[in-house]
Formats: sequence, structure tokens, C-alpha cells
Amino acid sequence: MSSSVSVAAEWDLLSDRFYRRITIYSPLPWSSPATTTASSSGGGSGAGRLDLSTHIVAAAPFGGPIAAVRDDSKIVQLHSEPSRRRLLLFSSSGHPLASSPWTPHLPRLHSLAFSSSLNLLALLSDGSLLRFRLPDLKPIPSSSPVPLLPPTSGGVADAVFWGGGVAILTEDNRVVVTADIEVDDPHPRELADPGVGEDEQVLCMAVVEPQFVMSGSPEVLLAVGDRVVAVDEDGVQVLGEALEIGPVQKMAVSPNGKLLAAFAHDGRLLVIPTDFSRIIFEYECDSALPPDQIAWCGLDSVLLYWPEVLLMVGPNGDPVQYNYDEPIMLIPECDGVRILSNSSMEFLHRVPDCTTSIFGIGSMSPAALLYDARDHYDKQSAKAYDNYQLISSSLPEAIEACIDAAGYEFDVSRQHALLNAATYGIPFCSQFPQGRIQEMCKMLRVLNAVRDPEIGMPLTIQQYKLLTATVLVGRLINANQHLLALRISEYLNLNPEVVIMHWACEKIAASTAIPDIVLLEGLLDKLRLCKGISYAAVAAHADNSGRRKLAAMLVDHESQSSKQIPLLLSIDEQDKALQKSIESGDTDLVYLVLFHIWQKVAVEKNAPLDFFGIINARPLARDLFMTYARHSKHEALKDFFLSTGRLQDAAFLLLKESRELERNPVASKGSLHVPQVRLIDQAYRLFAETKEHLFESKSAEEHAKLLRVQHNLEVSTKQAIFVGSSVSDTIKTCIAMGNERAAAKVKSEFKVPDKRWYWLKACALATVGNWDALEAFSKEKRPPGGYKPFVEACIDAGQKTEAVKYILKLTNSAEKSEAYERLGMHEEAKAAALQADNNGDELFSRLKFTLGQNALIDTLRDRFSSQGTY
Amino acid sequence: MAQIPNLDNSPLNLTALREQSQKDLLNIVKSIRGKKCLVIDPKLAGTLSLILQTSVLKEYGAELRILSADPLQTECPKVVYLVRSQPNYMKFVANQIKSDEPKGLQREYFLYFVPRRIVACEKILEEEKVHQKLTIGEYPLYLVPLDEDVLSFELDYSLQECLIEGDTSSVWHVAKAIHKLEFAFGVIPNIRAKGVASSKAAELLNNMQLEDPVNMDNMGMPEIDTLILLDREVDMVTPMCSQLTYEGLLDEMLEIHNGTVEVDSSIMGAQQDGKKVKVPLNSSDKLYKEIRDLNLHVVVQVVRQKATSIQQDYAEVKSTNTQSVSELKDFVKRLHSLPEIARHVNLAQHLQSFAAKPSFHARVEIEQIILEVENYEMCFEYIEDIIQKQEPIETVLRLLVLFSLTNAGLPKKNFDYLRREILHSYGFEHMSLLYNLEKAGLVKRQESRSNWVGISRALQLIVDIKDPEKPDDISYIFSGYAPLSIRLVQHAVRSGWRSIEELLKLLPGPHLDLKRGASSISSSSEVLPGSVGQQSTDRVGHRSLVLVVFIGGVTSAEIAALRFLSAQEGMGYDFLVATTKVITGNTLLRPIIASSKEGMI
Repeated sequence: MSSSVSVAAEWDLLSDRFYRRITIYSPLPWSSPATTTASSSGGGSGAGRLDLSTHIVAAAPFGGPIAAVRDDSKIVQLHSEPSRRRLLLFSSSGHPLASSPWTPHLPRLHSLAFSSSLNLLALLSDGSLLRFRLPDLKPIPSSSPVPLLPPTSGGVADAVFWGGGVAILTEDNRVVVTADIEVDDPHPRELADPGVGEDEQVLCMAVVEPQFVMSGSPEVLLAVGDRVVAVDEDGVQVLGEALEIGPVQKMAVSPNGKLLAAFAHDGRLLVIPTDFSRIIFEYECDSALPPDQIAWCGLDSVLLYWPEVLLMVGPNGDPVQYNYDEPIMLIPECDGVRILSNSSMEFLHRVPDCTTSIFGIGSMSPAALLYDARDHYDKQSAKAYDNYQLISSSLPEAIEACIDAAGYEFDVSRQHALLNAATYGIPFCSQFPQGRIQEMCKMLRVLNAVRDPEIGMPLTIQQYKLLTATVLVGRLINANQHLLALRISEYLNLNPEVVIMHWACEKIAASTAIPDIVLLEGLLDKLRLCKGISYAAVAAHADNSGRRKLAAMLVDHESQSSKQIPLLLSIDEQDKALQKSIESGDTDLVYLVLFHIWQKVAVEKNAPLDFFGIINARPLARDLFMTYARHSKHEALKDFFLSTGRLQDAAFLLLKESRELERNPVASKGSLHVPQVRLIDQAYRLFAETKEHLFESKSAEEHAKLLRVQHNLEVSTKQAIFVGSSVSDTIKTCIAMGNERAAAKVKSEFKVPDKRWYWLKACALATVGNWDALEAFSKEKRPPGGYKPFVEACIDAGQKTEAVKYILKLTNSAEKSEAYERLGMHEEAKAAALQADNNGDELFSRLKFTLGQNALIDTLRDRFSSQGTY
Repeated sequence: MAQIPNLDNSPLNLTALREQSQKDLLNIVKSIRGKKCLVIDPKLAGTLSLILQTSVLKEYGAELRILSADPLQTECPKVVYLVRSQPNYMKFVANQIKSDEPKGLQREYFLYFVPRRIVACEKILEEEKVHQKLTIGEYPLYLVPLDEDVLSFELDYSLQECLIEGDTSSVWHVAKAIHKLEFAFGVIPNIRAKGVASSKAAELLNNMQLEDPVNMDNMGMPEIDTLILLDREVDMVTPMCSQLTYEGLLDEMLEIHNGTVEVDSSIMGAQQDGKKVKVPLNSSDKLYKEIRDLNLHVVVQVVRQKATSIQQDYAEVKSTNTQSVSELKDFVKRLHSLPEIARHVNLAQHLQSFAAKPSFHARVEIEQIILEVENYEMCFEYIEDIIQKQEPIETVLRLLVLFSLTNAGLPKKNFDYLRREILHSYGFEHMSLLYNLEKAGLVKRQESRSNWVGISRALQLIVDIKDPEKPDDISYIFSGYAPLSIRLVQHAVRSGWRSIEELLKLLPGPHLDLKRGASSISSSSEVLPGSVGQQSTDRVGHRSLVLVVFIGGVTSAEIAALRFLSAQEGMGYDFLVATTKVITGNTLLRPIIASSKEGMI
């Protein structure tokens, strides 16, 4: 077990638990981009050192980047550094990512922090906030600071950031919280007045993050005098008076929001639940001087930092002390603390149980034996098999532990060794799930890739699981590491669309000098990798970047018309948009384009004609326009018809208008028909202009004439019953009124055929029951269409005897039979039908089968009617 | 019996489809907290009655109203409009909102478009200055099951839009609805389309599959084997004929709306007169399922037999006391069918009062003569007569369209004469109607020889009925005329379009025969042509499902014909019908007449 000893030798024991400090990156390059780009200086590595002691620094959790600005409140010896301050951005491995000049004449910088979506936040001493986008440090939404404090507050006394917000203590001892710090227009809220007395002082503050508070809004803890108060929106609560802690100099809330580490004025470190119900443990430090930094390392220990000394205090036993001869910065993570110094990046965390079981000194756990067995196996020693026999029953746990332990290692060769140990066990253990080791390998490959100093994201496996692969890919994209992001996406079967989309947009932004055609090829090459990617979104970006031509070329490749067409419109490709919308068959899109063009054209002169020209060439667009215009744009529709030579359609529109006049009688009573007739006359003239609409023009002419005739009739009869009825109805009305002469006049004026005249007159006379007149009419001459009109008029009026008179005169036996049938004269009907059959009228008999079921049904109906249900 | 049909026997899981629509609607209602007034457009209200009991909506605090031009009367602080995307409804909505303003009513307004928001409608809301006040959403109801084998797109104006206005919105809707079906039941591998709209719909469906592909990886075999799309325009002859099946006649005489007919309660045997009752008609009613597609006179016989046999049983039960308990149970069970029998006795009796009229016979007769293109003069005179008699204009137009279609138009003299007679008899406001019918090719001037006789011979449309009680061909549906549309479907299923290509060219619009789907299924579909019938029966117990879509409407009689076909021995097919609307000649023509009169088309 010699190999394990060296591993455990690096561990430190805190009561019964081991902790280890892993050096992730050392030495750090720290070469300031300012010097490399300016390159005026000698470029020595020493010249660009980022000195933590002279900079305001922020580091993002989850292995995120580091930002720094020189602290101008400190006296700095200028070596060859430029005197102007710059905002610097480094990866966790110390590689410069970006820098930008710090705007001069701003209020003093109070602190820097990262939001959870990795925007850089800079809080100025007057309480205003600057925000910067990564990776290029572009100010968002603008370069002017957003004020978070009311102007009278006196500025920032202290501030605590968390992922989504910031709590600020003002100089006049009020607390302002901003919980939506990422949005363009954040809404700071002032909490209840903490009630700090005139002669009192706020010693320190801490924040319980909103996700740990029942109300969902953050709770701010303030140490004031010898008490601690919890402040939220509704009020102030004094905590733990019974505990008699005394003035608290420094506080930190644990990663799960449940515990508070408090450093009291007498040098005691206390760990208390955030509700201050009891003291969980306390440790008396040698120094009563408050530490510079205080941080939780996981949930089991608290780190206190005084210059040159880092003390790790656990619940039991002696603390562990580490010495640093240079300034450091503690970066809390969910499972430990990263320690950043001028020269290195370390990770301090509790040694996981699986690792202890393998590498712990003298460990005889199955996992340790398995690891050892592999060692022996590699050395071709028979002891390998002895080990295996010792652990055979607990082999699955042993394998499991080796795999897990591999996950916790940063050192690739140690990962290998542990995984090798696991694979050595697997053949002996058939029930062990095959996927476990592959899964771990996959994760480690991803982790090793991002931990590479070039990338500089020192994620632990726990952090990675918490962060999720999708977010990691997002972070890589935002760091412009598209290739790696794409590889990881493909490797993990994630949709590469986000990566490619982002890449394409960045590419467009970064390629101002590349001609459209060349850039398009380059973009298409990559966009093709991802099926279903939105070309329209990339095109929209191109358009926003001022490359309209490129946008037009890109949008051509978009397959979804609903995305393509709005974009075509926004880049002024109307013709193409119209064409594409018609091809899409989606009438809604065609309308979208039509309205767009219409609106654009409406502001220009001579506009409608252009519009009409555009749509007239495209049947679907034209027809849709017409359909829409019929509802609300009559005038435009008429113009369209006239300007495109559709005279008949314009005429029909006039007829429609004339009918609308009829329906909405205007003030001009009596002469109502005049404007109506005028419109119909106009229509008539339009119809008459083309040969094809001769029938319509004649009809319109007749229509106008009819209205005039009807008007005169109304005047002469003093009854307003004519206008609006048909020629036939007019005749009937006249006859029914006994005005034969008027009827005859209408007949001749409108050249009503005799046949129809007989139908109309017979019907009208029967309706008014003028049977003598009817008979006289039947005897005038032999009716041109036979006596059917008389028969039917009488039957309809229910006059059996009158009807029979005329039935006898019918020549067609089938008609006779039918008439008798209608009168219920079955015998006569049968006789006539027989005659019809004899005449060879087989048509009549063909459908006879539907007849004659009446009687049967009647009886059935009677039987069931009592049920009354259906 | 419920108006919402039972879909358990459907060849496709339509229940899931309907449940999704229910859920979507309830989610909308639930998402708006508190008491609200749900305002539904009149037509949609009918449609929704096929999806869920409106009482369910009330449970979620919704007060129901039908959208109208009048101001809204409600106490609710929230108003939710659920309306189909039609311009006229937008004006109603705008008017109601505007009428709240002077009353000082502070309400929250929501508008859910069915099935989706439409720029043209939103434009109107903007012009009326109410757009800002509305929270807008969508209720994506594209398809409603009318029965276990009939789906409706609920597009009342599809035919006139496609044929007269050139507005192809409904074609997109149909394609979208089928694409949505494909997400649930797999990409349909075979498509056959005939007609302008149908071919366009097939093309759109293909585009949609490209734009927004249905992932077939974890779906298995597609459940629908073939999609047949037909334009109503291809066969305008059939709907012009009087339907003679029970369901067809019910629709012709009483008009079926959302699976119910409304009749006087006296007709249904109730004591009090004058009240209207709604009678649900769908296959949940076993007897109706049995008789709906039969000729009315056969229906009468079937119903009679059932009634008499129960009566005999009753007599037996009464006279002898020797029945065993199980026999009695059996009898009681049969007694349960009495209400059903009574219902159909009443309805059949009512229909018979129309169908037994000589004028009805005369009409069916003349239709037959027109179909056989015999005796032009007689037909012409008949039509002339009914115009001069001023019979309802729908009746006139049905025959006139039929006459014009079979004769490829009327000689100019006759054409102008009849048109003039129509205008004189019914008023000059019908000028644009005649113009529109002419544009649509339904009533026109004769310019070439008619090919109707050729088509009818080649497809055997006119068949002599030997035994009307035991039909062996779909021609029984119209007592001797086999509907052209269904003959086409018959060919399309049997052997695809190839065998009747020449014939198809004589009918309006292009035709299309497509194979598609994921590469994994293309291998099986390559075997298909020619051996379709065989292959489908080869697979034991497996019947292929054919979705027949009618753009522009389908009649009950045609659906009956399809049911008849799939019930034939050796047919390995089930048919599922989807239509923009179930129509009759009257309901097809009526909106065209009305819109023409109002100048809206």
C-alpha cells in the first residue's frame, strides 16, 4: 500500500475528518492584457502581475472567471504599468480574457461581483451600478450607471451580493435590496428601518439568500452594537439576545442558508442557526482582531483569514492552520473553497469518504484492497488474486467507491489509476451496472477538457452536476469557446443549435471585413450541421449588425415560412416576402405581407396604383385583398377594380352599394329610389362597356326600370309594398290588388313570357280567392303551358272542387294522377296512374317503392306514442 | 342519449383527440382566475357541444354567452371571447368592448382565436382601437369528431372561398389539421389527391412535414395507411341529387346540426305541442347505426320488424307463464331498445310525410333523367316551371346546376332565358349569384360537348338496381346512381389514380399520387401499387385505414356509400371521413346565395 501513503500525506486532519488542498493552477500567468496589447513595456512577466492586495477583485463561483480593477484607494507603486485603470478579466487559470479601460471620473468603485448568469456587476460608492457583458466587457444596457439608492442616502457603507441581487447598507444606515439585478431596469426596494441608534455603528452584514427564506425575499442580518438584527421588508427582528454573543465583527451564512458563522469581539467564532435559537459550537481564537475574510468550506468547517494565516475551524478538535506569505482571496463553492493567491489557484475541500476509504492510511476497506489489487496485477504479482478473494462479497461497493473517487480527482493519472482499479473488479462482478463506468468516463472527459488551463474552468464533479451540462455549454459559448462547446454538446447528445446559433452571431459580429459571399459560405458550412436551426434568427442578427445583404442571403435558407416572411419584410424584401408567403399557402402570411406593403405604400404618393400593380400579378394575393376589402375597404376595392380593368366587378360593387341604400333608408324620404337608381345606372354603364357582360347590362337596365315602375306604382296606389320585390311579385301584387291593367303593363314592359304570366296570374287570383276571375282567365284562350298552373293554384289554396275542374283538363295522365293524389282522391289517382302505365310511362313507376308505407307506419306510431320517449 | 358521440369503436383513437381539445379549452378557462364571462360565437358554440358538456365550463366559474352584435350583459369583471377568426365577429367584439366604455365598466378582456390568430382579424381590432385592451390567445381546434368515423374541420365557407373567392385559407387549415393528426398517428405514407384545393393541400402537407417534421422514431407503423383528398368541385353532381338514405333524408328535410335534428315535440310523440326537441343522431344509438345508411323504405321495414318481434314476445310473455328467468331477462333486455325504436319510428314517419309526396317523386325522377342526359326538353321545361312557380331558389338552383353540369352548360339562348326568368322571379339582387355560379362553372353557357355521359359510362355511375333490399353496389344510395366521388375513391383505393388517369383529366383540377414518409417505411410502400387490396388482407386481422378528406363538403349519402364499401367482403379497408362540413345540396348552395346577395363574394 505504499502508493496510497503519499496521497494521504497531503491531507490535514480536522477532528475526525480529512481535508485537502489541491493546487489546480500554478503558477498563474497573470500577464495583463493591457501590457500585451500596448506592448510598449518590456513585456516582462513581473510587470503584469495581478496583485490581490492592490486590486478590487471578484471571482464567479463554479470555476468562473475573475475580474479586477486597481483599487485607487491604495497606494500603489507603479512599475511599468499604465497609469490609467483598466477593468481586467481573467479565467480561473489566470489567462487574460479581456480588458477595457475603466471610465474615469466615476464615483469610487465599491465592489465587483458576478451575477448568476455571469454578468459582471460593479457597485459604485454612490450606490449606482454598472453592468458588463462577458466575454467582451461591453457595458449593458448602456455605459451610464443605474442608480440603486435614493439620492439622499449618502452612498454605500457596505454591500453583499448574491447570484441574483445585492443588499446595500447606506451611510445613513438604511438597507436597500435589489433582487432583480439582471434586468435592464432593476427595482431596488428599501427594507424596514433597522433602527440603528445615533451613536451606534453597523459592524458587519450578511444576507440569507431569497431561496432560503420562506417569504421568497432576502433577509439581511446586521450586527449593530451588541445585537444582531434581521431586516426584511416587513420589519426588524432582534435575534439571539438570550445567547449573549456580544458585538459581532464578521459574519458569513452557510451555503445552505441554515447556519451563520459569527466572529465575536472577544475572539470567539460561533456557529449559530440563522434563527439564533442556540449556539452549535464555539471556538476561541488566539486573536480578538476580526479576520479579513470569513467563509464556509462546505457545511462542516469555517475558514478565517488574517494576513498570512488561514485558519480552518471545525466543530471539534484543533483547527488547521495554513500559512500564506502573500494575499489570498477565498472563493466559496458549494463543496469547498477555492483559494486564489497572486501565484496560484487552489481548492480546499473535505476529502470524500470514498477517497478516504481507498487512500486512508492503513485502510483495509474493500475499495482500498481493490485499488491495491490492481497495483499488484499491474506488477504481475499473485497478491492481486489474494486481495480479490478478501473482498469478493463486497466487490460492487469497492468498484463503486473507485469510480466515485476517480470523479473527485483533478489529477488525470490518478483518475486513470482509480478507473483502472474499477475495471479490474468489473469482470468478477457480472451484476455491476455496465453504464456506471462509462458515465463517469464521460463526465471526467468533459471536466478535464474544461479544466485545461487554456479554458480555465476548474469545476469539481459536484459543481458540474449542480451546474448541469447545458449551463456549462452556455458558459463556454459565452466565453467564445464554441468549438469545445460544440464538441461537448455532440459528445453528450445535446442539441448543438444554441452553440451554432451563438457562434454564427458572434462570427457575423466579428467579421465586419469579410465580404458577404465568403461569410455566408462559412456560416452555411456550420449551420448545416444542425437540422432545424433557425436561419431567420441568424439573418435577423445579420440585419441588426447592419448587413442587410447577408441577411437576405441567409433568410433564403430558412425553411419555416412563418419565420422567414416577417424577416424578409423587416429587411425590405417585400416582393420576395409576397412570393414566399404565396408559396407557403398560409393565407395569414400573405395577409401579413399585404398589410405591410399597404401601410408602406400608403405614406407614399401615387401609392395605391403601385400596390394594385403588385397584387394584380399574383392571383392569391389579389383574391385575398378583394375578400378583405369587401368587408371594410370599399373605396380601395373600387379603385382596384377600375384601375385593373375589372369593370364588371366594379359594377357589382355598385349594385351592392345600391342595396345597402335600400336597407338603410336615408333622410331623403320618398325619393329613396333616386340615388339607388343612379348607382344601378352607373353599374349598367360599366357592364355595357364589355361585350361579355351583355346579360348583366341588360339586367341592370331592367332593374333600374323596375325600380322606377315600382316607385310609380307606390305613388299611384299610395301603398309602399312594391319596391324591393321582383318582377313576378310585382305582377302578383297588382293582380291581387285587382289592378289588372297595371299588371298587364308590367308584363309587357318586361316582356314576361305567357307561360310565366299564367303561373303568376293563376296563383295571385287563387290567393285572393277570386275563383270566377280564375275561371274566366282559364277560358281566355288555351293556356300555353297547359292547365297545370290552375290545378296547382287551387290545390295550394285547398279548393278541391275548383281543382277538379282543371284536373280534368290536364292532358298528361301522370300529372292527373299526381294531382288527384294530392287531393287525397286515391281511386281517381290509381285510375289515372294505370292509364299512365299503359302509356308506357315507366319513369313514373320507377320510384314507386317509396310510396305506400304510410299506413304501416301509422299503426306503429300509434303503438309507441304512449311511450313518449325518444 | 348524449349529443357527444361515443368514439370507442373508432378505427383511430379519436377519443384522445377529443380529450386534447377538451383539455386545451379547460386550460384556457382555468388560466383565467375567478368569475368570467365566456362569450362564444354562435357556430362555435354548436361545435363545442360535440366536445364537452357546457356545464363543465360553468364549474370553472364561467358564465356562458353567445356572441352577437348587442352589448354584453354580465356582472363578470373578466370577459373571455372564444371566437373563430372571422372578420364579422371582430366587429361584434369591438362593439361590445366599446359599449362598455361609456358605462364606466372596468373589465379585463381576453380573446382566444379559433383555431389561430389571424392578421386580418387583428387588423380590424386595431382599426376599431380595441386591440390594446385585449389579451390575445389561441384555441387550436382544427378538427372535431362528429362520429366514430367522421371528422369535421368545421369550415362552413370552404367551398365558396375556394371556388368563387380564391381564398385558400381553408386548404391551409385542412393541411394543418392533417399534419396535426400525423403527429399523433404517424406520417401517412400514401397520398392521392384530385382537384385544385386537394393537390394544394397535399403539397402543403408535404411542406409542413419538411418545416416541422413528425418524428417517426418512436412511433412504429403509421396508423393511417392512405390519404385520399377530393375537392367537392370534382363532383358537384352528387350533392345536387336528392339523398334517399335515412340520414341523408333527415339532413335534407330537417337539417342535422352538430349531430342533432330539431323537431316539434309532437312529432316525437310528446303530449305538449309547439315545443322543439333536439334528437341526437350518432352511432352511439345502435339502431341508428344500423339503419342510418339504408334507403328510407328499407328503414321503415327494419323498424317495423323490430317492433313486431318485440310485440310478439310481449304477447308470449303475457299469455304463457312458462318462461324461465333467463328468457325473461332476455326479453327485458330487448325492451330496453324500445325507446330507440320509438324514436326512429317517429322520425321515419315524419320523413315519410315529405318523401311520399308526388312532388318529391317527380323531383327524384327528373334528377335521374338529368343524370342520364335524356330528354333535354323535358328537363328544361321542368326547371322553367319551378322557376316560374317561384319554388324555393335552392331547389331551383340544385336542378339547374345538375342540368348544367351534365350538359357541360346550356345553349346560350336557354342560358340567358333561364337566368332572366330567375331574376324576374326572385329579384335582380341575384345577379351576382348568377355571375358567381358562372365563374365557378356551376351554371354556364355551353361551349363544348359534354363528357358526362362518357364519365358516367366509364365509371358505371348509372346502375339498374336489382334488389333494393340487398344492395351489392353503392348505386343503391341514390336508387340507381353511384356517386361519382365515391367511385373515384373506390378506384383510388383499389389501384391508385393510374388506371383512370385519362378519366381524371376530364374532371376539374390536377391529380396527384404521392409516396412519402421516413425511409424506414418506404420499402414496404413500394410493393403497394397494384396489390393494395391483397396486401392489406394478407396481414391477419389487420385492416388498413384510409382517410378520405373532402374539401368543400360531403353528403351523408356519400359517407353511407363509403361505409357500405368497407363493409363489403374482401375489403381490407376502414374508411375515416374528414370534411370541411357535412352538406346537402341546400346547405351547400344557401351560403353562396346569401353571400352573393350581400355582395360579400
